[in-house]
Amino acid sequence: MGLDMAKYRRLFLEEAAEHLSEISTALLALEKDRGASEGIDVIFRMAHSIKSMAASLEYGSIADLAHALEDRMEGVRARGCIDDGAELASLFRGLEGLEAMVAVVRETGEAPPPQVELVESMRAESESLKKKALS
Amino acid sequence: MKARVLIADDASFMRQMIREIIEPEGYEVVGEATDGMEAVEQYEQLHPDLVTMDIVMPKRSGIDAVKGILEKTPDAQVVMCSALGQETLVMEALQAGAKDFIVKPFKPDNVLSTLAKVLEKKSED
Repeated sequence: MGLDMAKYRRLFLEEAAEHLSEISTALLALEKDRGASEGIDVIFRMAHSIKSMAASLEYGSIADLAHALEDRMEGVRARGCIDDGAELASLFRGLEGLEAMVAVVRETGEAPPPQVELVESMRAESESLKKKALS
Repeated sequence: MKARVLIADDASFMRQMIREIIEPEGYEVVGEATDGMEAVEQYEQLHPDLVTMDIVMPKRSGIDAVKGILEKTPDAQVVMCSALGQETLVMEALQAGAKDFIVKPFKPDNVLSTLAKVLEKKSED
């Protein structure tokens, strides 16, 4: 069975733009109130959704970064708030990374190159958060 | 007889993809829900033969929606849609009464065989 992947690429670009805008709004809200639970939940869900759509289109690099952001937010959700300014800055970097990658898809129609350093640093932060929660 | 399906997913992308996979195979999509609360409401109104239920949704999670549906209709047939890294949530959903799960990114053959298996088992019971 062949799905019309050009149609899904258009849908991805539309929905990803909306999701990234929602993440941005939520991060700005978290800048003012680090315990804004709705904002935490929105970022988690939007990252999850971008991950699933990107994986469906075989944009592995976007799926990897969205997955790293989702995992990062899982830790934040468990804690119930943003820890500090450094954590917020890391989440903003995740957003900017995703925005840049989606822009590449919009401009070229191709999968963007991976953002290895950003993904690895977010994964390391998630791991450190998990260890801290267990200790 | 055509099996009637309710698709619950907050992403239009995913709803359309499931619809496009199953409709040519004779399934009738009777409704689309964009959050867990709508999924429960639409289930009660439409009484579909099967629900595909995303796990991560606003207002009410997919797992919570499965519990809500099964509370009133214990023999409801719900198939969870999960993503990589959600194994624990899938287990929770199955324990709550979901019949099976499909993993994103969707593989059409896998989606169709899972839905067919769940409906076949229901008709045997």
